[in-house]
Amino acid sequence: MSLHTLMFGWEYPPRHLGGLGVACQGLVRGLVNQHVKVTLVLPFAADGTPDEIDILCPQEQHIQKIRVASLLMPYDSPELYAQRIHSVPRETEQIYGADLGQAVHVFTETSVEMTKHLRPDVVHAHDWMTYEAGLRSARHHGKPLVAHIHATELDRTHFHPNEWIYGRERWGFEQADHIIAVSNYTKGILTQHYGIAPDKISVVHNASNEQSALPPHAISSAHRSLGEGGYTLSPHRRHPMVLFLGRLTIQKGPMHFLEMASMVHRFRPDVQFVIAGDGHMLPSLMHQTVQWGLEDCVIFTGKVSSSEANKLYAQASCFVMPSLSEPFGLVALEAIAQGTPVILSKQSGASEVIGHAFKVDFWDTEKMADCVLTILRETPLAFQLISEAPRVLQRLTWEHQAGEILSIYQNLIHS
Amino acid sequence: MSPLICLYFQVHQPYRLRDLRITEVGQGNTPDYFDHEKNRSVFRKVAEKCYLPANRLMLSLLEQYPDFKIAYSLSGVFLDQCEEYGPDVLESFQHLAKTGRVEFLAETYYHSLSSIQDTEEFCEQTTLHIRKIGDLFGVTPSVFRNTELIYSNELAQTARLMGFKGILAEGADHLLQGRSPNIPYTPPHFRLPRGKEMLIARHRPLPQRSKDIAVLLKNYRLSDDVAFRFSDKSWVGFPLHAETFTDWLLGGGGHSVNLFMDYETFGEHQWEDTGIFEFLATLPRIWQERGVQCVTPSQVIETWEQRNNANVFDAHNAISWADTERDLSAWQGNQIQTSALEAIYALGPLVKATGNPDLLRTWRKLQTSDHFYYMCTKYWNDGDVHKYFSPYDSPYEAYRRYSHALCDLKSRVEPQQKQHAKQRTNRKHPTP
Repeated sequence: MSLHTLMFGWEYPPRHLGGLGVACQGLVRGLVNQHVKVTLVLPFAADGTPDEIDILCPQEQHIQKIRVASLLMPYDSPELYAQRIHSVPRETEQIYGADLGQAVHVFTETSVEMTKHLRPDVVHAHDWMTYEAGLRSARHHGKPLVAHIHATELDRTHFHPNEWIYGRERWGFEQADHIIAVSNYTKGILTQHYGIAPDKISVVHNASNEQSALPPHAISSAHRSLGEGGYTLSPHRRHPMVLFLGRLTIQKGPMHFLEMASMVHRFRPDVQFVIAGDGHMLPSLMHQTVQWGLEDCVIFTGKVSSSEANKLYAQASCFVMPSLSEPFGLVALEAIAQGTPVILSKQSGASEVIGHAFKVDFWDTEKMADCVLTILRETPLAFQLISEAPRVLQRLTWEHQAGEILSIYQNLIHS
Repeated sequence: MSPLICLYFQVHQPYRLRDLRITEVGQGNTPDYFDHEKNRSVFRKVAEKCYLPANRLMLSLLEQYPDFKIAYSLSGVFLDQCEEYGPDVLESFQHLAKTGRVEFLAETYYHSLSSIQDTEEFCEQTTLHIRKIGDLFGVTPSVFRNTELIYSNELAQTARLMGFKGILAEGADHLLQGRSPNIPYTPPHFRLPRGKEMLIARHRPLPQRSKDIAVLLKNYRLSDDVAFRFSDKSWVGFPLHAETFTDWLLGGGGHSVNLFMDYETFGEHQWEDTGIFEFLATLPRIWQERGVQCVTPSQVIETWEQRNNANVFDAHNAISWADTERDLSAWQGNQIQTSALEAIYALGPLVKATGNPDLLRTWRKLQTSDHFYYMCTKYWNDGDVHKYFSPYDSPYEAYRRYSHALCDLKSRVEPQQKQHAKQRTNRKHPTP
């Protein structure tokens, strides 16, 4: 008999804001491939996207999805929730909850109720908003709870947490039977800042949804045929472009990117910078861009679709992920898949698994600029990074990572 | 008759690069590319753990056992560092030299890959090294060992024409094909291209070419038993005793067992608490008891009587003592390595044309093989970095620093008129 996991999530493609949804999808598909039965409970605004377009691949049919009417969004904060709830007609407000706390409460009550009839073997909850639902469900069914942590409140706020959310997270970690962290970096945060025992935490790194976009022969012949054929492999285009892609929030370090850009600009005025993504820091970033006289070389694209993102990665001479605290950083794998050299913040989970990259402290923007300039100047270096880095994609698959999660399930069920 | 034992130790320290920045490149005032603090601290650490205690032990063994003999190859950059960071270390080597039972081998002064890149530079660096050894120890080497035991037929002929009577090489299985590494070999007989022969003749480090040259092969199994496996608790030979090891040495027969290893084996790779020093201290006593002769590389060659029907060691492609591949891939196995190698040697004529000894020394310090080794990505598997010996974070960091040094050096040796042109453009577009 196949194992049944009851999962509480936040987001799922195509409705997703960041890496959590992508990771959740990869994980669920990986588990289905391992013959695990998955029931996925998701918050869902009543007027949102219809369910049907969710079916992205054949295996999706095997995933049972339960939609819970809610205005909850991943990466939520009380302030953001308050903004959203104001735009909802007064009479429907009660469906969702008047503030974030109540919204979580409503989601918890509803989703636990809706899943009472199921017979899961294990309950698996993704990030703090679902921990209470996960726990109550696990208690009801008398099954173990796995708390998966994709990002902590400390990551999102650069260690200036909303105390209530921090408290909910900590409570969830304490109540869970086992915790899955997306990196050793995150495991470290849990042990140091949440006081969780290290042996209660397993690290299962995120994987890449895509394989390398470059056919192997293109990589091996990269140094011989510069940009020949369909792929423009030359990392030195007429106007080199350096890319940032992520939510424009303090966690992702867009201001550090801009600082780096101004240093690179002084040295190489021909370089263009693209800041892709949306977020509350956009106005201040634009202001700073003008202050530093970078308006002619920095482009803000706003939020981009995943196909637009892939085009940007492919166009970029290098991708920089300057996150202040990044539990994983799937964008780094996405950039690598598109054949782009990457520079990663050392304060990230991705830097644990990606060997062929530059790694710098997020605050060391001077060194970050130096790495960018070196990649732009040194063609052999760019090619070396492009040709070696994608090997991580073959090693780090969701199939494989789901296998590790399955064995965590089995250990819990049999202990 | 039991085989002779030939002990040879490699002693080398590179000049590691500091965290150079692109903003310093081409400014005309870059003070130095090297991280003196780091180089000093590594040197002192290894001196305390290895060089000083090992030399003390060697000296006492030489005093105690009249038949005990050893050989060293001290790279020129190591000797330079001795003068900068460790006169005590240099002095202890000089004490060893005074016993008259220590042989010093010749190598390239800068522990470089010049043998495969630039024959003239190779001869010059070897000449510099021979002079240095003469100045410091009062002897002239007659046996050559190349950087990281890199060896090929062509190199053997080159070394013969340079005047050496012997050369060391790795006893690589694929070239031995079942034959014993414990006998001296000769390279195949052939002539080098006339131009190269003349070039070597013009820059010959020793007075005259040698009629023939013997190849002494490292017995890598027995050498690595000490150098790599001595403290490995999962190894069947653990714990290794001097008696057992001597049994193994004698068991293989042949003319001489050549044990070649890094000197850092004693105290640095194998820590003092593994008992490595006691092991080393016991060997000469056991050898004396059993009547085993200890010799230096040139004595291996002198005592070898069947040189006229010698076996041929045919290394058509270059070999080395590195990694399991025993080839050159540790230094020129990827794009950044080959590009860095090409670029540094391409600067040679420009550097020499300046006639500036400081620039020449800097250029040569950048030729040290370690710089290229640090760029190796062969074992740089994601998440598996323990095999990587480097002072830097990654092979890419090694290349970043190196490429900045190269670019700066290039800007310093570019012909003057280009310099002026560059300065004019710089004025138009001021850089920070």
